[in-house]
Amino acid sequence: MKIVVSFKVVPDDQDIQVSGDGSLDFSKAHKIVSTYDLNAVEAAAQLAAANEGSSVVGVTVGDAKIDDSKLKKGILARGMDELFMTADDACADMDAHATAAALSELIAKVGDYDLILCGDGSADNYAQQVDVQLAAKLGLPVVNGATKIEAGDGFVTVERTLEDVVETVEVPLPAVVSVTPDIALPRIPGMKDILAAGKKPMNVAGAEGAYASAVEVVDCKAPEQADRKLEIIDASEDGAIEKFAAAIKAAL
Amino acid sequence: MKAFVLAERTDAIAELCAGARTMADEVVLVAFADVQVPEAVADKVLHIAVPEGSVIDDAADTVIAAFDAEKPEVVLVEPTKHMKVVAGKLAAHAGASAITDVIAFEGDVATNMYFGGVGQKKQKAAGVAIYTVGAGVFADAQAAGANAVEELAWVAPAKAVKLVSSKAIEKSGVDLFKADVVVGAGRGFGAKEDLKMAEDLCEKLGAGLGCSRPLTEGVDWLPTEVYIGVSGLMLAPKVYIAAGISGQMQHMVGCNRATTLFAINKDKNAPVFKQCDYGLVGDINTVLPALIAAL
Amino acid sequence: MDFALTDEQELLLESVREFCDRYFTEDVIKNMYETHSMPQEIAEAYRDAGFGLMGIPEEFGGIPTDKVTLGLMIEELYRRSGCMHILYQNSLSMFDIMEFGTDQQKRDAVDHYMETGWPIASLSISEPGAGSDNRSMTCVAKKQADGTYRLSGQKTWVTMGEVLPYTIVVAKDEDPSRENGAMSLWYIKMDTPGVSTAPLHKIGQQCIPFCEVYLDDVVVTEADRMGKPGEGFMMLMKNFEVERAFIVAEQVGLAQAALEDAAKYANQRIAFGKPISKLPSIQEKLADMEIAVQNTRNMLYRTLWKLDNGESVQLDSAMLKRYGCSECFKVADQALAIYGGLGYTTEVRVGRIWADLRGNMFGGGTHEVMAYIAGRQVAKKYAD
Repeated sequence: MKIVVSFKVVPDDQDIQVSGDGSLDFSKAHKIVSTYDLNAVEAAAQLAAANEGSSVVGVTVGDAKIDDSKLKKGILARGMDELFMTADDACADMDAHATAAALSELIAKVGDYDLILCGDGSADNYAQQVDVQLAAKLGLPVVNGATKIEAGDGFVTVERTLEDVVETVEVPLPAVVSVTPDIALPRIPGMKDILAAGKKPMNVAGAEGAYASAVEVVDCKAPEQADRKLEIIDASEDGAIEKFAAAIKAAL
Repeated sequence: MKAFVLAERTDAIAELCAGARTMADEVVLVAFADVQVPEAVADKVLHIAVPEGSVIDDAADTVIAAFDAEKPEVVLVEPTKHMKVVAGKLAAHAGASAITDVIAFEGDVATNMYFGGVGQKKQKAAGVAIYTVGAGVFADAQAAGANAVEELAWVAPAKAVKLVSSKAIEKSGVDLFKADVVVGAGRGFGAKEDLKMAEDLCEKLGAGLGCSRPLTEGVDWLPTEVYIGVSGLMLAPKVYIAAGISGQMQHMVGCNRATTLFAINKDKNAPVFKQCDYGLVGDINTVLPALIAAL
Repeated sequence: MDFALTDEQELLLESVREFCDRYFTEDVIKNMYETHSMPQEIAEAYRDAGFGLMGIPEEFGGIPTDKVTLGLMIEELYRRSGCMHILYQNSLSMFDIMEFGTDQQKRDAVDHYMETGWPIASLSISEPGAGSDNRSMTCVAKKQADGTYRLSGQKTWVTMGEVLPYTIVVAKDEDPSRENGAMSLWYIKMDTPGVSTAPLHKIGQQCIPFCEVYLDDVVVTEADRMGKPGEGFMMLMKNFEVERAFIVAEQVGLAQAALEDAAKYANQRIAFGKPISKLPSIQEKLADMEIAVQNTRNMLYRTLWKLDNGESVQLDSAMLKRYGCSECFKVADQALAIYGGLGYTTEVRVGRIWADLRGNMFGGGTHEVMAYIAGRQVAKKYAD
């Protein structure tokens, strides 16, 4: 089976700096693959390994900077066979609707496929909407919350872990399935994987058009810290525990 | 202005209908399957009976038909996985993007988290506004309406998902939203047995026990439903006690609306000590038993 | 001169960091030092990521790697974990088997490693009366009338000797006297009659257990010999050079961890009304620490580069070990000073790193004997 796995490249949140006016400065942030998308990539790799003759194709869209040789090798080292990427500033900061449009055009280049996997949500927006919007754009069925995927004949059986129930569903292929982080622990690529990654096909191109967002961002700043008392005591000090207990009682 | 409410659970129906009332003069609830609809929450209740063997997600086509007929300008959606699928399909149909997990509204500007709380984004929908909104945001709003029920005919999707089985998840029974006092346990607990100390503290205080992500992901020490933070619970209890939690943003956004915030951690440089009212620097293994005794 | 890393090297280091962050949590590390071990899960994950196969020939399932890349990997394994785990030491005996073993021994070693995540053999080299002064070694193998050999003697500081199924023993051929320099390597199963062990306890590096190994008339055959007769010590010496460099890679990684901890602490700790990083005495320490770490690292990379280019590092490796191990230990010592009294407690990890780093001034050749090796070479280098 041919599995397409969609992932997003985001700035590493460890490197985001907050400026004096509260605005976020991404200039020092490295580009990384969004954390939970790595679980989707691993799920794709494991599903491919469980079904002989399968292949995994990674797809991603983003600004021109995502076309980074180390990043491409890094993701290909995690169990993918081929990569398709749209790297164009026309694809910067897109909402779910625009992302789905850009992804669907990119996926058209992949050719036939059986399954598209997505991660649980991206590190930046965590909207959990691209999977559904992409499915709608491609006219495919979609389920989210997958904790287990098994391939059947023309369908996949998916275990979905939802808020109150665990559903087992059969989804006709081709389909879009988004997975929870619990589905698979990402592998740690070794040198063999890393060296092999550089030899895998990387198809990178610019965007074919512009993708308008349906949502306007008015403002994006670090939240103001709540005013807290910040009374910190060391537990080894005399009466520290009693003081702390008294403060809890007073707050109840 | 007309608002749609899409929700699958009774509590969410009540709160989102109340919230919709603050935005629109006409509130239309779309109720799914056999959910119990509270009295007097909406002007109209559009009920969708979900056929045997179908998933609630596949009610999207029926919702889209109702949306086209009713033409609401705003849609409030409960942020469950089912409803996020319905919202996404509706948004795709309407040429919109849902603004998800909104934590505050100011007119037509909705605020939600960016990078797990590192930032907050204020956004505005260009056309129809579709929001997913979690519990607590409209806690103070009042719902009203005649609840005129209308049955919608099921519009079958082109490619249906087949529901094979559905098994209820056993719940701890704790509704942390209803708890005045919440204890959050984090990585400072070295072993599952050590959580007994956190449970004892909860018992002493009549508190509910929640946790940070590492305790539900990878290790199964606590059920996923009590995970506090981004993509988990976003609480605003009277008292929150973070025990053995370092204070990463991704967790703190789930508890920093607490009235009084307490923190216990052995690392005095832990970020949690910059975000709490009262901090106790010490190892939970020694501090918790002493604290329980002192309370 | 190009100091830039390749994409592949950087990705390898990212993988190492991911590995360390996932497995070496402070709780796990604490437990490792208390139980003198490492969780099986970590050994298997290390194997699965292929780290333990780095530097082993491809024909035996390994991943051929240049020495610079190996050094980078080792340094990061210790910097990011901040603990003196056994992972790199595990590779040492594997490298020796790959260098001197028969094809069968090599295959067995790799099979065992792939099955268990642990090396097949420990190394029994030092003796109570013969550490640096290896000629004083008294362990001896004597040929018997039936063609077998009898091996007798006592070995000490044998890392993992009580845990691994085999040990590689260096012993003199026939005559234990000081004058006899002929030695051979023997590959011995630990449950062979006559082999016994007794534990030894360290003041640092406690998660890397070592022991004494007693050999009482252990019967071995020609098939158990590794490499050529009489050349055992020369063979080990050859591997020592690269091993010394890799020990320094561990050392500089851990020194860097101590430096990072201390610098962060100095920025936060307020004394006399300001962060102590503003005090000249602390700034002097931080500057010296950074110089020591960078110098050691530069020397290390240069030595590894020379090895990769087939140049002799007899002098370089001895100088590197003498300078790097002691300077990096001093870095940890200064880190301890920056922490003040707190540094001498188990609340922070610098004390642990301090004790660990002192140990590397012994292992792989003492600080003192490095001067002997290097000094001879320097005199020779400038001889008329």
